[in-house]
Amino acid sequence: MAITVNGKSQDVGAPVSLTELIRQNNVAQPDMVSVQLNGEFVLRENYDATTVNDGDEVDFLYFMGGGSVSL
Amino acid sequence: MDFNEEQIQRYSRHILLQDVGVEGQEKICNARVLIVGAGGLGAPIAFYLAAAGIGTIGLIDGDTVDLSNLQRQIIHFTEDVNKPKVLSAKEKIERLNPDVKVITYHKLFTSENAFDIIKDYDFVVDGTDNFPVKFLINDACVLAGKPFSHGGILRFDGQTLTYKPGTACYRCLFHAPPPPGAVPTCSQAGVLGAIAGMLGTIQAAEVLKYFTGAGDLLTNRLLSFNAKSMEFRTINVHPNSNCPVCGKHPTVTTLIDYEQAVCEIKR
Amino acid sequence: MANYNLDITHEHCPMTFVKTKIELAKLKSGDILNVRLTEGEPLQNVPKSAVEQGYNVLSIVETETKGVHIVVIQK
Repeated sequence: MAITVNGKSQDVGAPVSLTELIRQNNVAQPDMVSVQLNGEFVLRENYDATTVNDGDEVDFLYFMGGGSVSL
Repeated sequence: MDFNEEQIQRYSRHILLQDVGVEGQEKICNARVLIVGAGGLGAPIAFYLAAAGIGTIGLIDGDTVDLSNLQRQIIHFTEDVNKPKVLSAKEKIERLNPDVKVITYHKLFTSENAFDIIKDYDFVVDGTDNFPVKFLINDACVLAGKPFSHGGILRFDGQTLTYKPGTACYRCLFHAPPPPGAVPTCSQAGVLGAIAGMLGTIQAAEVLKYFTGAGDLLTNRLLSFNAKSMEFRTINVHPNSNCPVCGKHPTVTTLIDYEQAVCEIKR
Repeated sequence: MANYNLDITHEHCPMTFVKTKIELAKLKSGDILNVRLTEGEPLQNVPKSAVEQGYNVLSIVETETKGVHIVVIQK
């Protein structure tokens, strides 16, 4: 089945949970990624229970706020 | 507002634009913008807003200039090392454009002073490099009904969102800051210097568009880019009914000073 | 409907159109601005730019002074 991830088409074998999709996509910061599914943000605690189906659109959003650390 | 001959020359390239013109330049010259952070993002933001003739620029930053900043914080020069960033920035802004009034706050932006500081400005720009303050800026602006530009960079990536009351805020997208230690801060210390320029200048353009009314703001849109591939994309978003600060059942009704990650405290 | 005059014969592009816009900004809708300019770039650019940005160019007339024209613009 075909879904869209971050604007690009992706082939996924069967409906998967968001957690599994995150894992499959080697998402950086998997514990912190924010997910929008078909225009709605999914609460983190619901990732396991949320299934991604044919034609769905998924956006992974990442925290970006680093850059100025004196080591 | 009557422009003198020097101002006509200085702002001629704005005046020529149909979307700006004399009226737009007047609005820019009467605008008051607060930039939180005089570092990587704050530097190009401050430069471009000063060049444009923004009437009052407020700069808040508690840091002094460090040698490691100069790779990207282009408003600070080698001789400014150890100088408070807000003073170093003020000097350059005044040399670039003496029309601009610069107000400096050599301190941290905190839950105690946030409302008091932002009340004197029409627009706030997030030029910070840490999550606690990004969330503070968001919460303060949402609660005060103040438009602002969110911006963040990381290695080769940048993202920005513009907020106006009623549109998606930062917390609509990111519920709460990552707990300190969850995102290894030290590994996030690397950033390609020019990325700060890429993102900061986009934020400055949003500010100018806000005041002149030109084009469409990045409201309900997160602009995200990866400089390695030079791919830019906009992600459509909208106010989240579960948002802790602007949603149906807000849980954030006062300002919070989240804990800083350990590396950040060392600064 | 008032009439105003602007002399930009000593200006170089793009200040020619900048000065024209500044004067036009002061006028009310329907007012006329008679812009005195030189041939060459000013004559080529100012009327065209005025039309592009939504003003009416009513006429362009040559004056008795060689190379000097008047562009009549209505806001």
